[in-house]
Amino acid sequence: MIGLEHYLTVAAALFVIGIFGLFLNRKNVIILLMSIELMLLAVNINLVAFSSFLGDLVGQVFTLFVLTVAAAEAAIGLAILVCFFRTRGTIDVEDVNVMKG
Amino acid sequence: MTPIVIAFYLFAVSTITGGLMTVVSRNPVHSVLWLILSFLSSAGLFVLLGAEFVAMLLIIVYVGAVAVLFLFVVMMLDVDFAELKAEMTRYMPLALLIGVVILMQFALAFGAWDYSDGAADRIASPAGEIHNTKALGLLIYDKYIMLFQLSGLILLVAMIGAIVLTLRHRTDIKRQDIVGQMMRDPAKQMELKDVKPGQGL
Amino acid sequence: MISSDIQTVLPEISLAVFAMLALLAGVYNGKDKTAPMMVWLTSGMFVLLAAWIGYGGEGTTTAFGGMFVNDGFARFAKVTILLSAAAVLLMSQDYMTKLGLLRFEYPLLVALSVVGMMFMVSAGDLMALYMGLELQSLALYVVASLRRDSVKSTEAGLKYFVLGALSSGLLLYGASLTYGFAGTTLFSGIIAAADGGVSLGMLFGVVFMLAGLAFKVSAAPFHMWTPDVYEGSPTPVTAFFATAPKVAAMAMFARVVHDAFGGIVGEWQQIIAFLSVLSMFLGAIAAIGQTNIKRLMAYSSIAHMGFALMGLAAGTAFGVQAMLIYMAIYVTMNIGTFAFILSMERDGRPVTNIASLNQYAKTEPLKALAVLLLMFSLAGVPPLVGFFGKFYVLRAAYDAGLAWLAVAGVVASVIGAFYYLRIVFYMYFGAEQDDPLDRGMPPVLWGFLVVTAAMMLVGIVNLFGIEPLAQAAAATLVN
Repeated sequence: MIGLEHYLTVAAALFVIGIFGLFLNRKNVIILLMSIELMLLAVNINLVAFSSFLGDLVGQVFTLFVLTVAAAEAAIGLAILVCFFRTRGTIDVEDVNVMKG
Repeated sequence: MTPIVIAFYLFAVSTITGGLMTVVSRNPVHSVLWLILSFLSSAGLFVLLGAEFVAMLLIIVYVGAVAVLFLFVVMMLDVDFAELKAEMTRYMPLALLIGVVILMQFALAFGAWDYSDGAADRIASPAGEIHNTKALGLLIYDKYIMLFQLSGLILLVAMIGAIVLTLRHRTDIKRQDIVGQMMRDPAKQMELKDVKPGQGL
Repeated sequence: MISSDIQTVLPEISLAVFAMLALLAGVYNGKDKTAPMMVWLTSGMFVLLAAWIGYGGEGTTTAFGGMFVNDGFARFAKVTILLSAAAVLLMSQDYMTKLGLLRFEYPLLVALSVVGMMFMVSAGDLMALYMGLELQSLALYVVASLRRDSVKSTEAGLKYFVLGALSSGLLLYGASLTYGFAGTTLFSGIIAAADGGVSLGMLFGVVFMLAGLAFKVSAAPFHMWTPDVYEGSPTPVTAFFATAPKVAAMAMFARVVHDAFGGIVGEWQQIIAFLSVLSMFLGAIAAIGQTNIKRLMAYSSIAHMGFALMGLAAGTAFGVQAMLIYMAIYVTMNIGTFAFILSMERDGRPVTNIASLNQYAKTEPLKALAVLLLMFSLAGVPPLVGFFGKFYVLRAAYDAGLAWLAVAGVVASVIGAFYYLRIVFYMYFGAEQDDPLDRGMPPVLWGFLVVTAAMMLVGIVNLFGIEPLAQAAAATLVN
C-alpha cells in the first residue's frame, strides 16, 4: 500500500535535487531558475499529499496559490535575466563578477 | 502489486529522474524537456492523490506556459552553453555531498510521519463528497477570497515588472496609429492628376 | 461578515486601489511626465494611511477567518513601514530624475510592495504570510534592476532574485511540513498543535522556515546577497531596501515565532541567538575593509539585524518591545544616512567612495556635523538615540538569561564602532583633498538629513514616546 511517507520521500528527493542543482549550476542562471521550480514542485507534492491524507482541502488551495506565484516568479526572473544578458552578453553570474568583497 | 502501486512507482521514478536530468543535462533545451517530464509525472501523482484539478492546472500552467517561457528564453538568448557546462564538474563533489547529507536527514525525519494530537479536529476545510474542482472553487472564491485577490495583485506586479524591464520603445520603426488611420480623409490624401496622352505633366 | 472583514482590511485595499488607479492614470497620460507628481501623491498616500492606522482602531480584530490580524503589533509595524517608505520615496526623486530613471512605474511598484508588507505583518495564516511576502519580494526584484542598462543594477537584481526565490522555497517547504504536522495553516491552530510537543518532521519545518526568514532579514549566514544588492541597485532603491522591507521582514519574523511557534520557544531560541551572534560579528568585521559607502551600509544593516534578532532571541514580550524600538530607531538613522549618501556628488555625478569624504567638514561644517551625529548614533555611542536601541535589546537578552549573548553584543558593537568613526575621522581629519565633493544639496535631502540628526539628539529625552507604544504593541503579540 502506498502511504503518506512514500509521497513525502518523492518530494524530499525532488527538493534535494533542486538544492543540488543550485550548487551544481552556479554559472548557468537558466538552470538555476529551473532548480527553483523543482523545489517549488516538491513543496506542491508535499502539500497535496498532506491534503489528501488529512482529508483537508486547504493543502490544495495552498498549492493553487503556490502555482500562481511560481508562474509570476518565473516571468519576473526571466525578464531580469533577459536584461542581464543584454547588458552583459553572458548569463554567467559567477566569474565576471563586477562586485566583489 | 495493484495497478495503483505500479502507477505510483512509475510516476515517482519518472518525476525524480526528470528532476535529476534537468539539473545535470548539458543542453538547456534538454533540461527544459526533462523539467516538463517531471511536471507531467507529478501531475500523475496528484491524480493518484485525488487532486484532479491541481493536476490539470499543473499541466496547463507549467507545461503550457512556464516551460514554454523557459524554452523561449533559452532560444532567444544566444549563449555558449558548452563553455558554461565545462565548469560544472568543479562543483560536483560539494553539491553531491550537500545533497546526500540533506537526503539522509530527511530520511531520518520522515521514517514515519507523526501528526500532532488532534490534527483531525483542526482541519479547516474538510474534503466532502463534492467534486474536487467544485469544492476548490467554493473555497477560493469564498473563504480564501483575500488570498485570491492578493494573487491577482502578484500577477499585476509580474506584468508591470516584465514590461518595465524589457519593453524598449523604439523610435526608428513605424507604429500603428489607429485613430489617425481611421480619421484619414481619402479626399485629402490623394490628388488626381489628369494626364493628357502624349503630353506628360 | 464580509463587510466587517473588508472594514478591517480597508487601509490595504485603499492602497491597492490607489496603485491601480495611478497605474491607469500613468498609462493614459502617456509616459513619465506624471512621475514626479506620482511620487508626491504616493508619499502623501503613505502618510495618510499611517495617520489612519496610527490614530484609527484600538484592540485586536481579525478578518477572513483569522487569516488577517489587525492588532497593536501590526499597527506599530505598519506605521513604521509607511512613514519610512514615504520618506525614502520623497528622497529618491532628485536622484532618479538626474539619472533618467524616474519612470511612473517606480512609485507604483513601491506602493504595491508596501501593500505586500502590510499583509505580511498582519498575517495570521501561512498562506497569507506567503502571499504577502511574495507580493513584496516580486516588486522589490523589479526595482532592484530598474536601471536596466547598467551591468551592476541588473546583476544586483538577478542575485537578489535567485537568492530571494531560494529563500521563498525554503520557507515554503518548512510551511508545508508545518501544515502536515498541525493539519492547519492558521497560526492559532499551529500553536495549539505544538502544545503537546513536536515531532522531528515539524522541527524540520521550523528550521526551514527560520532559514527562509533569516534570508529575508539578511541575517548571517544567509546574508551573502546583501552587499552586492546594496551596491548594485540605484541608491534610492538601496535606501528603500535598508528601511521598510527590513522592518516588515523583522515584524514577520516576530509574528511567526510568537504567534505560530510561541509554545516551543526552547526549540528556536538557540537558533535565533546563533543567527544574532553571527550577524553582529560578521557585520562588524566585514565592514572594516570596505571602501564603498553603500557596501558599508549593507554590512552595517547585517550587524543591526543581528541586534534586532537579539531582542527576538529573548523570547519575551520585553524582547519584542526592544526589537520594535530598535527597528524604529534603525530606520530613522538609515533615512538620515541615505539622505546624505544620495547627495554625495562630484561634478554632478553621484559618487559612493568613502575616500571622497576627506576634509568634508571644511567645506560643509553643518552637514558634516549632522553626519557625525548619525554615525555616532549608528555606532551606539551614548547618549545618542542609537545607544538606547542597543541598551533595550541587550537588557532583553540579559533578562531572558542570555547573558553570553548580551556580552557578545557589547563586544560586537565596540568592534563595529570602528568603521562608523572612521567615516567621521575622514571628514574631520582626512588627507587633503584637491577634488572635493560638490556643495549644496536638494532641499528635501537637506531637510531629512538635518531633521533625523536632530532627532538623534532630541530623542534622548523620551524617545518621542515610542516606548509605551512599542510596549503595548509587544503585549498584543506575546501573551
